[in-house]
Amino acid sequence: MPPILRHPGLWPTLAVLTVLCLLVAAPLATILGETLGSAAWAEVLASRLSRNLLWRPLATTLTIGVAVAAGCLLIGGFLAWLVTMTDVPFRRSIGFMATLPFMIPSFATALAWGTMFSNGRTGGAGGMLEGLGVAVPDWLAWGIVPVILVLIAHYYALAFTVISAALSSVNGDLIDAAMMTGASRRRIVTGIVLPVVTPALLAGASLAFAGAVSNFATPALLGLPVRMQTLSTRLFGMIEIGQTERGYVLAILLIAVSAVFLGLGNRLLAGRRSFATITGKGGRGRVMELGRARWPLCALALLICLVTTILPIILLAAASLAPMSSALFSDWTLHYWIGEADPAFARGLAGILHNPQLLTALGVTMGLGISVALAANAVGLVVAVTTTRWHLPLLTGAATQLSFLPLLLPGIAFGAAYIALYGAPIGSFPALYGTPLLLALALTAAMLPFAVQTGRATVAQISGEIDEAARITGAGFLRRLWSITLPLAAPGQIAGVLLIFVSVIGDLAIVVLLYTPATPVLSVLSYRYASDGFHQFANAVTLVILILSIAATLVAQLLRKRQRNAA
Amino acid sequence: MITLENLVKAFGTGNAPVVDDVSLSVPAGAFLVLLGPSGCGKSTLLRMLAGLENPTRGTIRFGDTLVASASQSLPAGQRGVGLVFQSYALWPHMTVAGNVDWPLKVSGLDPAIRRIRVAEALDLVGIADLAGRYPAEISGGQQQRVALARMIAPRPQIMLFDEPLSNLDASLRVEMRHELTRLHAATGATTVYVTHDQVEAMTMASHVAVLNRGRIEQFGRPGDLLTQPATAFVARFVGTPPANLVPVQAGAWLGLLPDPALRGATGLAMVRAQDWHLSGPGPRSLPAQKIEVVPLAGRLVVTCKLGDQRVTVIAEPEAPLPADLHLALPEAPYALFNIEGQPLP
Repeated sequence: MPPILRHPGLWPTLAVLTVLCLLVAAPLATILGETLGSAAWAEVLASRLSRNLLWRPLATTLTIGVAVAAGCLLIGGFLAWLVTMTDVPFRRSIGFMATLPFMIPSFATALAWGTMFSNGRTGGAGGMLEGLGVAVPDWLAWGIVPVILVLIAHYYALAFTVISAALSSVNGDLIDAAMMTGASRRRIVTGIVLPVVTPALLAGASLAFAGAVSNFATPALLGLPVRMQTLSTRLFGMIEIGQTERGYVLAILLIAVSAVFLGLGNRLLAGRRSFATITGKGGRGRVMELGRARWPLCALALLICLVTTILPIILLAAASLAPMSSALFSDWTLHYWIGEADPAFARGLAGILHNPQLLTALGVTMGLGISVALAANAVGLVVAVTTTRWHLPLLTGAATQLSFLPLLLPGIAFGAAYIALYGAPIGSFPALYGTPLLLALALTAAMLPFAVQTGRATVAQISGEIDEAARITGAGFLRRLWSITLPLAAPGQIAGVLLIFVSVIGDLAIVVLLYTPATPVLSVLSYRYASDGFHQFANAVTLVILILSIAATLVAQLLRKRQRNAA
Repeated sequence: MITLENLVKAFGTGNAPVVDDVSLSVPAGAFLVLLGPSGCGKSTLLRMLAGLENPTRGTIRFGDTLVASASQSLPAGQRGVGLVFQSYALWPHMTVAGNVDWPLKVSGLDPAIRRIRVAEALDLVGIADLAGRYPAEISGGQQQRVALARMIAPRPQIMLFDEPLSNLDASLRVEMRHELTRLHAATGATTVYVTHDQVEAMTMASHVAVLNRGRIEQFGRPGDLLTQPATAFVARFVGTPPANLVPVQAGAWLGLLPDPALRGATGLAMVRAQDWHLSGPGPRSLPAQKIEVVPLAGRLVVTCKLGDQRVTVIAEPEAPLPADLHLALPEAPYALFNIEGQPLP
């Protein structure tokens, strides 16, 4: 028997690899297989249709990606500089608020944009500005400009996080050392600060780019009404009208576009040229005195944060109460929340709390959120334990790669891949389409990278000397698990579960292709309401999602803080 | 020559000063060690010398040049000083040679001269073979040497060190102490060296300033700290092992054993480890409990508990430890301090 077959880690690793193949590799292989040799490739890439099918949406997508990356770099970089290197007031608060926009689903921000800026062009009443008598031009109400702005408001938090980490590593001794040489301030910036921070800038930009090109909700809500198509909306449209093969081809192309940039970003963050982790010590940061610009810059930063976090929520709340979004703050009614069906009002639709579909959706969403969070976390932990404990040639590497692969996959393309594989019966195994299980599987797979990350942090925390210290006391495995491992791991694990929960209930891109009337979820319901013109209802449903997200995020933050204090 | 006059540094108004009225002067070529526990203000003092902080009051002079006062300050780059940081602060995006070269480039030296200087500096600290590596690819001890090379390459008149050896392991530290002494001799530059390790002060310094709570407790030659400690703080801080300070009350050891040699003092009596010895019960002895015995250079350093404090005493290895352990007191204490730690005449 060759030694590899006697390796104690062989069977666990193979088991993990099988699960990962079913969750991640198989759906991808299916869309590749289904389109292999298909005429769809030629139709999409080189036919009379390809200009509308691919090239124009691709150009729009890339334009959006580049503009969003630039905008995020500008805003995220500005805030990061302000928070890490200057004496601006309220630094901590700004630093905290600048990470929040990413917690708000992008369709919430897009809906809020519509509440403010929409005009009568696509039917229905205009938004708040029209109500105030401002004629909102089409370019500001619909299409590429609002899509770019909303996506910047959503993704700048990513750039901020990456850039501020890099800036705080360069601040302090590194700059002091440069000052000792007598270098001018400009020379220090160009010779030391920028080179050290550049990898982080590029990484931040590529993360924002990949996020923007994969985003579905925002172009769907603000672009589709004026027939602006991106790769993701085009892909959605193709599958909706049954041209699945063309849809799969678009999915593959979308994955390629976003993966190239995301892969680049991750490489820059992890590679030798990333310096964020080299010099952790020497903490006393040099604070740049802003002088008279202190308060104006503080006001600007707070304004950016408020406009991208609190303001959308306020707009959504008001818009869920006001019959006319052109008069957001008058005639408030709770009809859209609790009203009975009334033919004279809102085309006879009852308030969302009387809508049986909403209640089902709430149940399904919560059920999905909780079960996916737990399942992904469990799988993530097992993957983390298995891949750190044993190192088998090829197999361990493959498992690690597969578990992080979903990070590179745009949600809507992932959804398409799941339809391709599990939408139809496989042998005697029934089709999963129309069951919550399909949604749960796809979401679990999509959340795996975060779960594995949490799992690795836990494993790193509880293995090694801490566990050995307990072993020496003679404590048995269960005893150690109960009194050492669990107390240490629990806060991190719970925080991980909560964050996955937030991502799941706020997700639209993955579920929009997979849901059926039998398995409604809140985000899709909100999207449906919005695309049918029932904005108040859409806003109300989105608010429900937001409230759930905020509550879960706060609990997660609290747990993190407590864990950090313990450590 | 470095001269400090009434130097004060306070962060924020209303806070107690971190450096409080420090005055001292060392000649050119001196090796000055600023010695003290963490938080005593020694690093802040060093950063003022470097030009990274400005004094709140007082003056700093290098030779005849006024480099810093409350109202004016020569920028760091124009002071002719080099600084080795505790974290080394190597620029991670440059190679070892690049790190050493950058300060030279900033000062506008000719590339040919720079190449020679970089090679010289790397050679002097023994890492010529690492020139092409990045800081992340070399060990902590090697990074330390890069930081040294980067500092000496521009040939500063004054070399500053901020606890440079604290991140190294014990054997590497001994090696680097020798290296630093050699470097000081080779360059002849006036050196200011911050540490909390009195062994580093004793082995390398020509002058030592002992700092406590921002003030100078004693400024002198390393030997003086041992033979004439100016305060109880100094006596307790220096020496291997450090001197013992036994509480005395109204002329009685521990308030129990009256002794005319204590001259009726209340405060602390300094007894060096070699000044007393272990014995059985006797008229001039105090009972003690053994804590630990460390062999040192053929003799034993015995740590005992005397009253509620730990003291050390030197013993000969041949003699067995007495069963009923006592400390036989010296004829007279080496020095007497009052409760505040000031010497009694």
